[in-house]
Amino acid sequence: MTATRWGLGVAGAALAAYGAWLAISRGHDHLDLAVWLAGGVLLHDGVLALVVLVLGAAVLRLLPQAAKAPAAVGFVVLGSVTLLAVPVLGRFGARADNPTLLDRGYWAGWLVVAGLTVGAVVAASLVRSRRR
Amino acid sequence: MRPPSPEDFRSRLRSPAVTARVGLWLGICFGIAFVTGLVSHYAQNVDHPVPFPAWPAWGYRVTQGLHVITGTAAVPLLLVKLWSVYPLLFRRPERGLRQLVLDALERGSIAVLVASALFQLTTGLLNSAQWYPWAFSFRASHYAVAWLAIGSLLVHIAVKLPIIRRALTSDVESTVDDRPTATEPGVLSRRGLLRTTFLASGVAVLAVAGGTVPFLRRVSVFAVRSGEGPQGVPVNKSAAAAHITDELVGPAYRLEIVHGDRNVSLTREDLQAMEQRTESLPIACVEGWSAGAEWTGVRVRDLLDLVDAPSGRDVDVYSLQPSGPYRHTVLQGNFADHDRTLVALALHGEPLSRDHGEPARLIAPDRPGVLQTKWLARLEVSP
Repeated sequence: MTATRWGLGVAGAALAAYGAWLAISRGHDHLDLAVWLAGGVLLHDGVLALVVLVLGAAVLRLLPQAAKAPAAVGFVVLGSVTLLAVPVLGRFGARADNPTLLDRGYWAGWLVVAGLTVGAVVAASLVRSRRR
Repeated sequence: MRPPSPEDFRSRLRSPAVTARVGLWLGICFGIAFVTGLVSHYAQNVDHPVPFPAWPAWGYRVTQGLHVITGTAAVPLLLVKLWSVYPLLFRRPERGLRQLVLDALERGSIAVLVASALFQLTTGLLNSAQWYPWAFSFRASHYAVAWLAIGSLLVHIAVKLPIIRRALTSDVESTVDDRPTATEPGVLSRRGLLRTTFLASGVAVLAVAGGTVPFLRRVSVFAVRSGEGPQGVPVNKSAAAAHITDELVGPAYRLEIVHGDRNVSLTREDLQAMEQRTESLPIACVEGWSAGAEWTGVRVRDLLDLVDAPSGRDVDVYSLQPSGPYRHTVLQGNFADHDRTLVALALHGEPLSRDHGEPARLIAPDRPGVLQTKWLARLEVSP
């Protein structure tokens, strides 16, 4: 296993070094690139992770026992899908000259996803509370 | 107030047993996205030391659909994986110089991995929605950081391999490598958390995949395109955005075919008088949407024969659009000679609409959409 690990490690370091060289030699606006690279980590570790911690602690304490697990499932599904939908919900890339881009009713779609998720969470909670 | 320490996090869900299982799928997604990304990058290069295949026609469509689908699936996987290891962020460095150095190296490699993974998913997602709130070049940066991500991922696997093996070969409830304080049961079981994560990935994929998988169109509420458009096909760059005027495509329009000092100039009517062929070929965009379509027009090889171009030559393709990176592209010899490569004049039986490249556009099998040049002005056989 030691040989495998060394092989993987050396290969990985070489590929990463190639990536860094590409970014420095071929890229431009290095400062902006660095901001986006570091910004993702800071936003995740410093903001998103904390929000999830606080929200999780608060909401789970308030909810009845039977609703806790379904709510956690709903939160993971709806939370990650909502994050993913930010660019289309905001339609930041929309262009007046191209009506075929970002041409769906994204908020209506989000409401459907959110409604289905909340409905499933409530239904599962009710079923679980009856079983007890 | 003291800074948090790993001991403060007590949930037994934050365990290597969970991390390794989510990580396995995350690694698979990143691997597929990396390879399919390399395919697209190579296809867009001008020089092809190994010719990019013109067959199967749907190849590029499938690889780019996979690229976006695996990237999308990776979002919930990455978020849950980072959640499961979050306590380790607050780990105190161990004593001793050797330990300190090793610890710093490992943390450094993880910082690079997390930064590049978040960067790839974010920029890829924004690119598919054509949102560019940054100054750097998307293509160059997404390509460079892909190597950083895959390289630091391999280093990470090398460092963690013993733990990964123990976790994946033992039961999901195993506590072998758990932190000593991670003993409190969570609201979900470990299995429940894993299923939830995979469910979230599945929902995410269903919500976007309709952009490239036609039968999912109705459920893909977050797809960047509905699949509708003029003549039933979406548009990536409109004629207005490319500054195509009535004058450019009016009666004065000519398509020039050039080979050395041989030069043929064709009107729309000349093109329509040549033998017309109809081909079903997908238009597939790097941004992860694609659509099948039926194109009718003149075979490029027939046009090259008008100027006695030998086979195998690359062809410089020029658009009427006055500027932009795709005004000039190169059609490699194997594509130029391919029977199914057309100068299309019609789409689904009707003359091309302005936004689809009126009066003539290039369409070749298995090629990135951005290279399927619209508003064709000139085909120049390279010497």
